[in-house]
Amino acid sequence: MTEKEDLETRLKIAKSKLDNKNTKENKKEGIFLGNAFKLGTELVAAVAVGVIIGFILDNWFGTKPLLIILFFLLGSAAGIFNVIKAAKKMQQK
Amino acid sequence: MATNPMHQFNVYKIGPEIKINGVDLSFTNSSLFMLLSAVFIFLFLLFGTRQKKIIPGKIQLISEMLYDFITKMINDTAGKKAKPYFPFIFSLFIFVLFCNMIGMLPYSFTVTSHIIVTLAFAMFIFIGVTILGFVIHGFKYLKIFVPSGVPIVLLPIIMIIEIISYLSRPVSLSVRLFANMMAGHTMLKVFGGFVISLGLIAGWLPLTFSVALTGLEILVAFLQAYVFAILTCIYLNDALNLHH
Repeated sequence: MTEKEDLETRLKIAKSKLDNKNTKENKKEGIFLGNAFKLGTELVAAVAVGVIIGFILDNWFGTKPLLIILFFLLGSAAGIFNVIKAAKKMQQK
Repeated sequence: MATNPMHQFNVYKIGPEIKINGVDLSFTNSSLFMLLSAVFIFLFLLFGTRQKKIIPGKIQLISEMLYDFITKMINDTAGKKAKPYFPFIFSLFIFVLFCNMIGMLPYSFTVTSHIIVTLAFAMFIFIGVTILGFVIHGFKYLKIFVPSGVPIVLLPIIMIIEIISYLSRPVSLSVRLFANMMAGHTMLKVFGGFVISLGLIAGWLPLTFSVALTGLEILVAFLQAYVFAILTCIYLNDALNLHH
């Protein structure tokens, strides 16, 4: 009986220690590093998608340079939008 | 051994050529390493959950930690509603993680360093999440393209921007994983080549770099799997809880 109680109290102490550690150190560092990797591609991908859409629409309507320029700009805007959104999400945490 | 740093990404056939309806379905080294990681995952989780002790052994501890880690991640980012999708996200995370980690072994092949593999993952997630959103919310799901509190004059432009940003999700998801893995492995190979060409006199410097880079690459391999999984959770969250 005493052995079991001893084990239980030790488990409780260990668990509370682990919880503290998790919330304080490990978790945050991992999330920040992950977020840092996220931002760069977020910006580039939107620009690439914008250019691809512009290229396809240009071929469709035969307005060669016009739509690709327009969608490049829109894609850049979308990329910056994405980064701002991601940064806002980071600040919430 | 080949000195070309890109040689490690070659895909070649193993065994006979299989063609069905003109589609090449031959078994390649890429499929071999996918199969290997699947087998490793299976064995690892099997050994981890075979003996359910109160005081866990090493393998059981690791698999329990993995389970806990993913549960927490889903709860934090997508909420309680995402609980039914736990098996999908868990298998996605652990498969990407094992592919990355097996790629870190010498002479092995990194499956995730090919954009077609990561793009297939990302397109599956993207299409799945979009279908899920339409199934749950119906046509209201289109609201994610219309943010609240925008003047009507600006609405068309904002909508196009939102659509582009939505379509850029699979691209950013796949390119991030692929680019990180390919760049890291190429860099390792280049530094390895420096060690040979500089020889005994100056070769020690790139060798130390190589060791440090290997450590960094292991970190990146884990982090990219984590980022892949957490972004899937975030997209899932957007589809399940519609608020902008």
